[in-house]
Amino acid sequence: MNVKHLLLASGALLTSTAASAGGFQVTLAGQKNNGMGGVGVGLSLDQAAMFYNPGALAMVRERGVQVGVNATMARSAFRAEYGGSQRELRNSTVTPFNLYAGIGPSEGKFRAGIAVYTPFGSKLQYATGWEGRYSLTDITLESIFVQPTVSYAITEGVSIGAGLVVLAYGSVNLQRDVPVQDAQGNIGHVELDGKAQNKLGYNIGLYLKPSEVLSIGLSYRSRINAHVKSNKGDVKLSNIPASLASRFTATNFDVTLPLPGTATLGVGVRPNDKLTLGLDVNFTEWHKYQQLNFTFDGVVGGNNTSNSRREYKDAFTFRLGGQYQVSDAFTVRAGGSYDLSPVKEGYVTPETPDADRVGATLGASYKFSEHFGVDISAQFIDLKKRSQTQQELIANNTTDRVAGTYKTRIVIPGIGLNYTF
Amino acid sequence: MNTLFPKSAVALGVLGVALASCQPDLDAPSTSRGSADFTRYISVGNSLTAGYGDNGLYLEGQQNSYPNILAQQFKTVGGGDFTQPLFDQANQQNGSGYLKLTGFDAAGSPVTTTETSNRAIRQATPLLFTRYDSPINNLGVPGIRLSDIQTPGYGSQLGNPYFERITPVASALQTYFQRVKAEAATATFFTTWLGNNDVLGYATAGGASTTTTITRPDTFALKSNRIINVLTANGAKGLVATIPDVTNIPFFTTVGPLLKATLQAKSVPGLVIQTGANPGGVTSGNRKQIATSDIRDAVGGRQLFTLTASPFVGLIGTPTGRPWRFVYAQSGQPAAGFRTFLTAYAIDTTQAFGVSLGNPFPSAFVLDDAEQTQVSTATNAYNATLRSQATAKNLAIFDANAFFTSLAANGFAINAVANTTSFISGNLFSLDGVHPTPRGYAILANEMISAINAKYGASIQPVNPNSYRGVSFP
Repeated sequence: MNVKHLLLASGALLTSTAASAGGFQVTLAGQKNNGMGGVGVGLSLDQAAMFYNPGALAMVRERGVQVGVNATMARSAFRAEYGGSQRELRNSTVTPFNLYAGIGPSEGKFRAGIAVYTPFGSKLQYATGWEGRYSLTDITLESIFVQPTVSYAITEGVSIGAGLVVLAYGSVNLQRDVPVQDAQGNIGHVELDGKAQNKLGYNIGLYLKPSEVLSIGLSYRSRINAHVKSNKGDVKLSNIPASLASRFTATNFDVTLPLPGTATLGVGVRPNDKLTLGLDVNFTEWHKYQQLNFTFDGVVGGNNTSNSRREYKDAFTFRLGGQYQVSDAFTVRAGGSYDLSPVKEGYVTPETPDADRVGATLGASYKFSEHFGVDISAQFIDLKKRSQTQQELIANNTTDRVAGTYKTRIVIPGIGLNYTF
Repeated sequence: MNTLFPKSAVALGVLGVALASCQPDLDAPSTSRGSADFTRYISVGNSLTAGYGDNGLYLEGQQNSYPNILAQQFKTVGGGDFTQPLFDQANQQNGSGYLKLTGFDAAGSPVTTTETSNRAIRQATPLLFTRYDSPINNLGVPGIRLSDIQTPGYGSQLGNPYFERITPVASALQTYFQRVKAEAATATFFTTWLGNNDVLGYATAGGASTTTTITRPDTFALKSNRIINVLTANGAKGLVATIPDVTNIPFFTTVGPLLKATLQAKSVPGLVIQTGANPGGVTSGNRKQIATSDIRDAVGGRQLFTLTASPFVGLIGTPTGRPWRFVYAQSGQPAAGFRTFLTAYAIDTTQAFGVSLGNPFPSAFVLDDAEQTQVSTATNAYNATLRSQATAKNLAIFDANAFFTSLAANGFAINAVANTTSFISGNLFSLDGVHPTPRGYAILANEMISAINAKYGASIQPVNPNSYRGVSFP
């Protein structure tokens, strides 16, 4: 039995998925980092520095290729304020992946590379007929970023780097029921399915290594507004009673979703050759996500727009982690994170049933040879129980979502392979 | 090589198993009956209590009546079985018959038809329904006024057919009050919502009926006191609902705004309407000029037009007698008397309808400002009575008047659905524009649960109103 089979076997037991970090961020860009609470900006562990801090890339000793994949599996429980029994999610699993290739002269000050990763995404499939069905039944949000990167070590203790961030692929699929029904009790349904335009952004980083013991990193990745243009966004309506056809004429939609910028300050400490500790403080500019506005070429329920208040607030994430080199070949890791939700009280939506998160991680690496190694990681993320009442929704003018209590736990095993030279 | 690799793989598998047990669970909210006892719950009231909707009483409406929804929630805190006089599922499920939506006309107005199959009619004239002789908990009788509760023969074959079908054959002259008294002897909990029809009938008739008048507040207080006394005589706890201001229901708020917009578009400054029920000529005081701007819509205005006026507003400005023939037919008088009727009211059908003193817009289709004052004066008096009587007996109060006023102003958003009081599209009112849909009834049940919880320290869970249908579309 190989790993793939085991993953598939366990995947069959496992259910659904959610974003692994606050909002719809996914911070699973490096398998080593994953095992250390997600730290990385103040470290120069491997090629994943292109994501965490391009400034640190020039300080990564090896050049190489690495690939990683994670299985994000969430279990969620929901109880509506006006409803009955506990609702759980339908089965699904998503697999955020990452790929890095770094090149450069072995002793030179330059490094270049290309990174492919998935910094934003979400997939949730709610129970059939659940109380929030008129807000959302299913969501799939996917993004793949491709990032050519260069990094330059100005001195032995100072390096900088920058990447051109390309939103190479972005897709959104949102489905909800429509509160109209026919005499047989069939209830309307709408599916919005679209592909985002390719867009450009950037990331930059600065890495300082004042001593062998201490390193400090600073990085920033810019915001990209993912835009689904009308000709790439399809409105699919089903079960709409024939007599209401004139109120449901839309075939296309247009929407813009901000993928926010993030700034991170990281510190790395190496008390000795074996032990590395990292601390990251991450700041995400979620306040750019104020509204989710769909514009239709026709009408959906008599309206040619759909506007929903989000009013996210900027949010911090704190990460702490370390690794210990047990032997030349074997390294173990552990870490934790505290991730503050950008979603204000009374603004929780089924598409992002967010809450403050506590994460605990474990990881290990094994080098089979001088060039080839494997990294494994496991994250356990616990979202705080979060409730909102219909009174709060009415007060906030956010009655397009459902009142009740959410509780989510996520487990994310991951595996990566790397070849260095 | 590969010594660790399989171990890692096993670890991942273990992780998968661990996840299977990581499903979070949220505790079910605690439930409690507080100081109330729901062992035997009875419901007293009119059409609203019976589950009437779409201008009829039929099985689906009965099954979704607010007392049935309440009883289902009471069961979670020790409540007993709740029996309703249901129409037979097999072939009489359409009860009295009811309105169905068949579509919309070119102007976007709803088109309805009456369902006449599988009704539970055992005799056409006088109308009688299939009897229900087993014991029942839901005593809702469509059409009953508080002023009717001590009328002997109200449950006879010449009385109210809905009461007739549940009145014991052996005591055909039993009054509603006597029936309630008999049922209350064993009840531990009750809801009572009587009195709507004491003002509604007058209002929906546009204040034009000589027979359906507003019940005098002193009569109302007397009868109400009797029913509350008998319900509490054996120590039962319960809930009293107040009477909503009927002028906010779609029956009165649908036609006016459309008419106003049409008149404004054609620069028609105003209408001539007939008011009240008294016969007389153009100078007798039963004619009234109203400005177009005074027709009530979202912006303002006072004059309300009934849903029944809908087929006739298009005739305004043309010489016609059609609306009068309709109004006269509704009175049930012999057709031969139509000429005399027109003469009595000095109607000249050769004049332009609705804009001339000789051919005014009939009183039956307009609840004008003066008539509304009578309605609100009576409603306020009734509600003061109900509140003081309920308070005196330490009963829970569902202030339906306040609730319907809020509903009309703000709609009712719940679980991501914005329900409103708009006709058809709002999902809360059925096709008759007066009675709620099953969803509307579910929302009322939730409000009553909330009042019961507050009064008796109970914690009974509400239902998801969206699980109950709004308007069904073809």
